[in-house]
Amino acid sequence: MRSKDKKQVNLIAQTNPKSPITEQYRLIRTNIQFSSVDKDIQTIVVTSSEPNDGKSTTAANLAIVLAQEEKKVLLVDADLRKPSVHYAFSLSNIEGLTSVLTKKMSIEKALMKTNVPHLEILTSGPIPPNPSELLNSKAIEIAIDELKEMYDYIIFDTPPVLVVPDSQIVANKCDGVIMVVASGKTNKQSAVKAKELLVKANTSLLGVVLNGVETDNSNYYYYQS
Amino acid sequence: MEETISITDIFKTLKKRWKLIMLLTLIAALISGTISYFLLTPVYQSSTQILVNQKQSENQLDSTQIRSNIDMINTYSVIIKSPAILEKVIDKLELDQSVEQISEKITINSQENSQVFSLTVQDSNPSQAVEIANTISETFQKEIKDIMNVDNVSVLAKAEIKENPTPVKPNPVLNIAIAVVVGLMAGIGLAFLLEYMDNTIKDEDDIERLLELPILGSIQKITQVHNKG
Repeated sequence: MRSKDKKQVNLIAQTNPKSPITEQYRLIRTNIQFSSVDKDIQTIVVTSSEPNDGKSTTAANLAIVLAQEEKKVLLVDADLRKPSVHYAFSLSNIEGLTSVLTKKMSIEKALMKTNVPHLEILTSGPIPPNPSELLNSKAIEIAIDELKEMYDYIIFDTPPVLVVPDSQIVANKCDGVIMVVASGKTNKQSAVKAKELLVKANTSLLGVVLNGVETDNSNYYYYQS
Repeated sequence: MEETISITDIFKTLKKRWKLIMLLTLIAALISGTISYFLLTPVYQSSTQILVNQKQSENQLDSTQIRSNIDMINTYSVIIKSPAILEKVIDKLELDQSVEQISEKITINSQENSQVFSLTVQDSNPSQAVEIANTISETFQKEIKDIMNVDNVSVLAKAEIKENPTPVKPNPVLNIAIAVVVGLMAGIGLAFLLEYMDNTIKDEDDIERLLELPILGSIQKITQVHNKG
């Protein structure tokens, strides 16, 4: 069991590129790239219905496998209430997205390099008193447009849909949304409700990532560990 | 929501919760064993056989006579349990129990169409069971002459004290077996109840049915540490 108080993010795509789990993230990457034919998917929001379903893990590993394709990738921590990306990549969170949105610093300065090639991070920054307003501001739209010029892919880690409206607000400004569902944990009704909310917010739902599936080795017979 | 249950689902549920089922079964068996071995007082039983037979003047057996003797057995069994007999037994053995208590310990078994019936006494003390059984049969034999003016009762087999009396009740093996069955059923029932009450998303089928969204991928539980290849 993992501890609830400190979110753990396992960067398996980086630490173990050969594992079947990393292969699954590559499959997700491929599916996203093929999920839309007519428009290019560049900005992706990762969210879920409830807390602790594995959003940050999915977002971080997806960003890593995209960067492994030698695409320029930015992972943005848009969870302004319980940021966790900086923990996963061991970065400081003194400056970040909120500093940019409140015009305290330029966006280029807030971006951080990681030890993953082609992957950069924009941490959440100091926790603001008004996250929803910040995310619904003109400033963030300008910031996203600016970042689109610099990166091939921008992944947003966001709070749960059913808890706060933040992810709907951000998703509305992005090309696609991925909903993370935790097997054996996510409630059926809340998943349906989250989907409805995302649809109402006029977002384009790319699909679902099912997390924490019981291991079934039959699909991975060609992996010799 | 229409749910179809397949055999595989049933097995999956049982497999998933087998620990719970085993635990409940084990607990039930333990409780039953503990009660049988340590809490319930063992009950011993002892029997005598009594023949009801008119002493014939002529040396021929009259079938109506036999018939009436057999019918007598029902009457006798009531008489045996009556205070008339039991009070004398209590006095004789100086028991500190009431007539009702004694009569609860007595069972009369008669075979179909047989003039022999057996009198079985159950008691927590094996020697007392034997004493009561013998005293009742003797007293009954004596008293019946006065009560019914017949002398047709004889004791065939006396109750005897065995070397190592084994209690008839409780039967721990049987009790544990029953508990195992009950525990198993309770466990299986609970497993299905939990499964039914669990309204979380499990697999890709659930997502397709509920959300009607494409599945981009499913990530296994990151539990096992993969060897770096």
